Amino acid sequence: MARKAGLSIRYKILLLMTTLPLVILAVYLFVAVGVFENDKVAYVFESSSSVAKTMASQTTTDLESSLTSAKPALQEFLSYERFATISKGLFSADGPIQWIAAVREREAGDFKELDVLERNKGTFQIEWRDVAGTSAMLTELSEKNRLVIVPFRDDRVILGEKIVVPATETTPEKTTLFLIMARVPNLVQVYQTPGQTENFLVDQTGRVLFGPAGTVGTNVQDRVKLPFLQVNDAQTKQGTDEVTNSAGEPLLASYSVTNFGRLFAVSLVPKREALKAVDTLIRKSLIFFAVLICVTVIVSLLAASNLTSALTDLYQATRKVAEGRFDIRVNISNRDEVGSLADSFNAMAAEVSRLMAETAEKARMEGELKTAQTVQETLFPAPNAVLQGLRVAGFYEPASECGGDWWHYCEINGKVYVWIGDATGHGAPAALITSAAKSAATIIERLDVSPSKALELLNRSVFEVSRGRIMMTFFLGCYDPQKRTFTYSNASHEAPFLISKADQPPKKKDLVPLNEVNSPRLGQARDTQFEEVTIELKEGDRILLYTDGIPDIHNPESQSWGEREFIKGILSSNKDYPSVDNAVQTLVDQFQDYRKGAPLIDDITFFMIQVEAT
Amino acid sequence: MSKYEIKVEKAGANANVVVSGVIDEDADFKPYDLSGATNIDLHLGNIKSINSCGIREWIKWIGTAGAAKVQYHECPKIIVDQINMVQGFLPSQGSVISFYVPYYNDDSGSEKNVLFKYGQEFTENGVKAPEAVTDESGAPMEMDVVEAKYFKFIKK
Repeated sequence: MARKAGLSIRYKILLLMTTLPLVILAVYLFVAVGVFENDKVAYVFESSSSVAKTMASQTTTDLESSLTSAKPALQEFLSYERFATISKGLFSADGPIQWIAAVREREAGDFKELDVLERNKGTFQIEWRDVAGTSAMLTELSEKNRLVIVPFRDDRVILGEKIVVPATETTPEKTTLFLIMARVPNLVQVYQTPGQTENFLVDQTGRVLFGPAGTVGTNVQDRVKLPFLQVNDAQTKQGTDEVTNSAGEPLLASYSVTNFGRLFAVSLVPKREALKAVDTLIRKSLIFFAVLICVTVIVSLLAASNLTSALTDLYQATRKVAEGRFDIRVNISNRDEVGSLADSFNAMAAEVSRLMAETAEKARMEGELKTAQTVQETLFPAPNAVLQGLRVAGFYEPASECGGDWWHYCEINGKVYVWIGDATGHGAPAALITSAAKSAATIIERLDVSPSKALELLNRSVFEVSRGRIMMTFFLGCYDPQKRTFTYSNASHEAPFLISKADQPPKKKDLVPLNEVNSPRLGQARDTQFEEVTIELKEGDRILLYTDGIPDIHNPESQSWGEREFIKGILSSNKDYPSVDNAVQTLVDQFQDYRKGAPLIDDITFFMIQVEAT
Repeated sequence: MSKYEIKVEKAGANANVVVSGVIDEDADFKPYDLSGATNIDLHLGNIKSINSCGIREWIKWIGTAGAAKVQYHECPKIIVDQINMVQGFLPSQGSVISFYVPYYNDDSGSEKNVLFKYGQEFTENGVKAPEAVTDESGAPMEMDVVEAKYFKFIKK
């Protein structure tokens, strides 16, 4: 018996113990990373929104502060159409204001410079000249009322403020545009702070007013599209968005609108940087997984080796059992199911060994019983015979290989002796007693003694053999053809029935039991005396001698035939007083028909003798 | 559960014994020694069966009664058969006080056991069977034994 090809249990266990945690951990990692990533993005949005809000607030404060410090000069100009004493007082101390210019739009559409106030004389002419697009800037200021420009990519900022003085009864409406050059170094520093986050102050067109080095004056939308810049909803003050830069890299954008014009404080964080912790988590998790899998593989191999080595031992043991070596035992000390299996195997092998020995012993005993059966069959005479005008017909079937019943007939000095006996129980012990009886009978036949004397001798023999443990009922009759008499002696055996031939079929009352004498069973006592009696027979008379096994015949439904059916069988089989050969066969047919092959409870023995015409 | 049951009640010289069940090679009568009693009444109505080994043990057991007067009561057919057939099953000083006689009706298949009592249905001189035994439907029943064989023990 070859081992079946296929994946061994060791590798199945290994596969199971590595695949299962791997799948579980992968699912866990997938779910955990998703949750962690969302949480991280939310955290980054929240913190960058806070930064944007703070920057917007500071921007508003710084710009408003610069404008507020210039307010007295503006009021003076509106009152006197020139900067006078109050205005010049602005420069008496350090402050952010560098110069202030008042401009008015003329009807021709150009702008006229009305007055200029400078901290350092001549700086306005130099700086204003260097500002690109001054005319466009003034036009924009006229439209928007307030404007912020960072013209030189440093801490100087030009604040534009449009002030309209309504008309009075004496003066017409006057619109004045003020340009205020101020220095806001703190604000520049806020937006230039190095780090992973890029902060910008941009206007609605995306033009960078303040931001990291090299970005001032550029348009941030050239680098990254910021959809929220296009929203003109005045209610929207801040927000977040996930955007993509020109290189396709996703960025997390947060913005906050300043209260000084519509300027946006924007904070941009590369998503990759924001989620760097997630990458770290994944990397460390993968390392942990790898270590875990290695440990699992080692543990699995050790556990599987322990299990499979035990199973291999069992497999080898079963192979040896299959080869007929039932003395094989396995030595497995596992205190688990495999250990229990090994114990069961050992118990099974031991039981098989015992059963094999028992089977061999049984076969030997059966062989001996067969031999005994063969020997015992020689104890019985031919079933049909005619001796001295006495026709004999019999039947015998043991309940097992050897029976405790015995019947016999013989001729001694012109007389016919008929013998029938039944030992206690049946089987081999009873058969041994019948053998002893047969042996004794063989001797007794030579002695020419009466039936009672013959039973005395037979009793002595049985008693000596069995010592009272097994007894035997026995009936012995002697037919004298000269006198047509039948002398019998009974040792507690079933009384035979005498059936005399008549004109009518026999009835139950015509069955005459030969029970005039009776004595104890053979083997009951050593010196039992037996009585005998002699009756006369007529031509045609027949006697049925039998043992008690016939009424005990059972059918397959375990219902016994019973004495009543037995009596009916006797009467019907002798209805027309046929030859005893036919009567016996008829009776056999009747109970075999009832029995239908069912096992016998007891041995069946019966025979009939019939006085024939001389 | 034992196949048989034996109850022995001794009152002075009298012993009342009830035997029931199956009497076979497993029957052990040794604990029920009958010696010492002079009058022994055995009630056997509930004995179901007895085989040749049981008969051997019975005869040994009943021998412990010695010379006591032994009386069998309510003997079923299987006991009557043994009394008739086996010498010593009823000890020589023993007698049968009552026994059952089976009746049957061949047409209906009905069966009945009729108790024959000493002095009523039988004496040492013979049997005086009831004139008519009928089943529950009133149909006449006939004796289910070979009379010459079954009543043989009465004339001993």
